[in-house]
Amino acid sequence: MEPKDDIQLRKLLREWKVEDAPPSLDERVLGARTSWWSFLIKGSMRVPVPLALAFAVALVIMGVALIRPRTLPIAPATPSEQGAPAGVAAFQPVDSIQVRIIGGTHAR
Amino acid sequence: MTEAAFRDAYRDHKDVVYRFARRMTGSPAAAEDIVQDSYLALWRNDAVYRPERGSLRSFLIGIARNLALQRMRGDRPYEELAEDVSIKDPINMVGLERAELVARAVMALPPLQREALILAEYEEMSLEDIGLATKAEVAAVKSRLHRARENLRRMLANLL
Repeated sequence: MEPKDDIQLRKLLREWKVEDAPPSLDERVLGARTSWWSFLIKGSMRVPVPLALAFAVALVIMGVALIRPRTLPIAPATPSEQGAPAGVAAFQPVDSIQVRIIGGTHAR
Repeated sequence: MTEAAFRDAYRDHKDVVYRFARRMTGSPAAAEDIVQDSYLALWRNDAVYRPERGSLRSFLIGIARNLALQRMRGDRPYEELAEDVSIKDPINMVGLERAELVARAVMALPPLQREALILAEYEEMSLEDIGLATKAEVAAVKSRLHRARENLRRMLANLL
């Protein structure tokens, strides 16, 4: 059972009426959201500082690696790079041999 | 959250969130700002809604409540609100309508008592839902409501 003064208080409180949300709010709320393509142009996002720092360091390292001239040591050519067959199975008998002398003083 | 779900959430709860913000702040303009910011927070997933933790209405009122309290705190945004157990004096009733007197009395309540009273008396929310919205235990909500009613009885004694 609710005390009598609580009921009276409740009745009195109900005398303060407040209007519902005005229609102008609809546009403010429903129109304020940005579409996904608009986000690509005007959007922003929060990134944790450690992640941002790690990304920046990675970018610097990649940039330096791209810009720096490559001075790789010349590795000795392997047999396959010299045009030699890699194995015995690659040997084939030749049908005919045509000898050409290129360069030299007796070239014709 | 999908576009349709957002529109439904707006249509279903905009009035209760607005009325709550309006009564908490006493200002229609501030209430509009709070409703807009609450729904934008929902849309942007600044605050993630989980149905298993309570109703969407309680969730939205919780956001609106935080925004309203932020406005009240002004330049002390990180200070926790303390339970205010002070007893209010009767308000001066000269030249005021009854509804205006009630509004003044409610606005004079400490924020934690005011939010509990508004949600219980005007929005008829259960103690559990008020607890969810205000991040308080049910016992604390009961205590705040009790103090709020006591204060209102004193402030509005001449009208009761």
